[in-house]
Amino acid sequence: MKERFGVSRGLFAACLLSALLVAVPVVVTVVQAVQGGFSAVHSTLGSTSTLTLVLHSIEVAAAATPICGIVGVAAAWFVERTRLPGRPFWAVILVAPLTIPPFVTSYAWANFGPAFQGFVGAAGIVAFTYYPIVFLLVMVALRGLDPALEETGRSLGLNGRQTFVRVVLPQVRPALYGGMLLVVLDALIEFDAFVGLKFQTFSFDVYAQYQLGFSASGAAALSFASIALCLVLLFGEVHLRGYANYTRVSQGARRTAERYRLGRAAFPTLLALAAVGAISVGIPLGMLVRWFSESSSAGLSSASGNLKYLLPATLTSVEVGAAAAIAGLLLALPIAVAAVRTRGRVVTVLERVTYLSFALPDLVAAIALAYAASHWLHFLYGTFGLLVFAEAILFVPFAVVSLRAALGQLEPSLEESARSLGSGPFASFWRVTMPLARPGLAAALVLVFAFTLGDLSTTQVLLPVNLYTLGTEFNANSSTVAFAAAAPFAAVLIVLALAAAYVLMTRFGRVRTAAAR
Amino acid sequence: MAGLRCTDVVASYGERTVLERVDLVVPEGTLTAILGSSGSGKTTLLRVVMGFVAPDGGAVSVDDRVVAEAGRIHVAPEKRAIGYVAQEGALFPHLTVAENVGFGLPRSERRARRRVEEALTLVGLERGYADRRPQELSGGEQRRVALARALAPRPAAVLLDEPFSGLDAALRAETRAAVLDALAATGATAVLVTHDQAEALSTGREVAVLRDGRLVQTAAPTTLYRTPVDLDVARFVGEAVVVAGQAHGDTVACVLGTLPVRGEPTHGPVQVMVRPEQIEVRADDDARVAARVIGHSFYGAETVLKLELVDGSETAVLLARTLDDAGVELGDRLGVLVRGPVMVYAA
Repeated sequence: MKERFGVSRGLFAACLLSALLVAVPVVVTVVQAVQGGFSAVHSTLGSTSTLTLVLHSIEVAAAATPICGIVGVAAAWFVERTRLPGRPFWAVILVAPLTIPPFVTSYAWANFGPAFQGFVGAAGIVAFTYYPIVFLLVMVALRGLDPALEETGRSLGLNGRQTFVRVVLPQVRPALYGGMLLVVLDALIEFDAFVGLKFQTFSFDVYAQYQLGFSASGAAALSFASIALCLVLLFGEVHLRGYANYTRVSQGARRTAERYRLGRAAFPTLLALAAVGAISVGIPLGMLVRWFSESSSAGLSSASGNLKYLLPATLTSVEVGAAAAIAGLLLALPIAVAAVRTRGRVVTVLERVTYLSFALPDLVAAIALAYAASHWLHFLYGTFGLLVFAEAILFVPFAVVSLRAALGQLEPSLEESARSLGSGPFASFWRVTMPLARPGLAAALVLVFAFTLGDLSTTQVLLPVNLYTLGTEFNANSSTVAFAAAAPFAAVLIVLALAAAYVLMTRFGRVRTAAAR
Repeated sequence: MAGLRCTDVVASYGERTVLERVDLVVPEGTLTAILGSSGSGKTTLLRVVMGFVAPDGGAVSVDDRVVAEAGRIHVAPEKRAIGYVAQEGALFPHLTVAENVGFGLPRSERRARRRVEEALTLVGLERGYADRRPQELSGGEQRRVALARALAPRPAAVLLDEPFSGLDAALRAETRAAVLDALAATGATAVLVTHDQAEALSTGREVAVLRDGRLVQTAAPTTLYRTPVDLDVARFVGEAVVVAGQAHGDTVACVLGTLPVRGEPTHGPVQVMVRPEQIEVRADDDARVAARVIGHSFYGAETVLKLELVDGSETAVLLARTLDDAGVELGDRLGVLVRGPVMVYAA
């Protein structure tokens, strides 16, 4: 077979193209910074204010990531492995924070008062927005575990807690580390989640550089730090790509795991989950209610004045989200398929390149794309297509992760059987792999859709001048006197987010495995 | 010549050579079993023939059509018209039995369903199965459906990868009979890959023994069993008792007496290979060779005795099969007699 690095040539070419496209903003940023001169890079990076802000970012990441790890693993275990009452409900509630736009959450927290507008708010928002990443990955890993392993642990004299620590945890560790890595990267480049706060981080500095008369090279210089950090984390973290291999279902029939009875622990568990739900979903929802109640008094006039923008904004948001979801899926598919088929080094590197979108604050990536379009591909500048492309490459890692999880569970012999029956590579993929991996495809689409809906900074830079989205309208109105005007936009965003969370939880990881007895 | 032919096939993964100059001819309409332990390269050979792996050397042809030639020709797996029954069947879990069987048929034939029913009948599954889901089938039924699926498009050859593994003894026998009947009825050229010597000997018209990537012997089952090319093959295809001896032309002298040699006359020190069923035990110990029972395994139809020679300068452990277990107990003294010619190998 004509192969390149363990996969067919066509697939390899598609992977290469995906990786190159995803790497565009990083490459452009580096070029910009170099063009700005190394002295500019040096002076920008060397300033004490920059250093303080970088430290702020690191502090937020350091505080939020352990919380994400603990909440994510605990939530995943309770939902997946115990007879917790109302599991489907909790699954949706626990994943919903990820789909609720961070800028909405941010304004909601800020409304609680000054105490939440500083470091506590920043770390809290990041922790309770991104723990679902750990939750989802660990949940899929738990689902893939062979129950015989746990039973063997018990038979060797380990009690329930010891079995969890010595048998279960080591096996979900790759998923946990992978999830925490994503949280760290996210926290370092987060901007949208802090728009409502008075807390300034690294991304704020980038934003300021941008506001100060489009200082692209200054912003680019700042991004050097995050690119370097991202590369170190990505390529130094050996475990990152491991988790999908752990979820691979072994051959033959495998029993589903017995769920543990919670007994007397049921009530405290429900209380804890309710607390997590209250912090992550309750705060935005509560604020929404308050904004609406305010609108009945003070901001009524401005709110009703804005209502005529609601439908067009919703349509634009949904269009951008849907288009980005499809584009992201197309970018992620070849990489995910190749990564499942081979463990070759070249494909591994290409897969990790897709995570490079975590190397840049969204804003810098958006500026880089705008710069590239205005200089080299002018016909793309200021178009809907460029915005869609930007959103797709920003969130492609999430699509890759969900596709890998789904594809990794399929036996290769299924596609080979299809080939032996006369179906070509594409026909085999279409007739066998696609239908079986459909839940993973749906999860990938929904994730990219929801993230695009919840994105503010990229949209603000790349949105064509005559268009507006739910996010931009919310943001424009939230800076006015009364939040009431912003409330309808936030309401639609949250409803869409909850719907996305619902679809996600009814699909994610639910892959039909090989014909078991 | 029609049928399946591998000529000088070489395959490697990186530095490691998995197949070394494999020559295999499967005559049209016959079944050849490839017997090899795990890691012998049998799965790689199968994947080379299927087209999932490109050979680094040599060629593969099916019905005189070259489908692979190292560096020059590589026909895609779907264009080779070679049916494939993967381990455990690999039925598509999202399709019904009928949809699985019809998968490789053109759309019109798929809809007409006649061929699907023919194929299912061929493997002994009546119509009731057509609308079931793979998950509702037993392991044996899954293998049969997988074979029906492979046979439906009338392939030039069918490859079966460990088709009976993981089935219990009764189901295994039943499934094997159904599979062999179906293959015989279609006159398909077939290759069956297995690590189980009994399965290889009982299914193949010919058995090819693969060891460390080389085909060490290809022969009819009886020939392979009686005249293996070396001691390793002898031990691999069945139980073997091996003792030292001195060959004198067409006889060999050893602790078991002077025995006739099978095949070419030879001279000098040799190793003598005797099959356990050639060793006959007698209750009286006035036979020439006396032995003591040191082990005793009852299998119902037969009993396998482990024996140790009583006297003689060397100690040898023998295995003997007897049909009647006449109250033999550990420590009993028995007389031993070897029936038929034995194989000798240069020591």
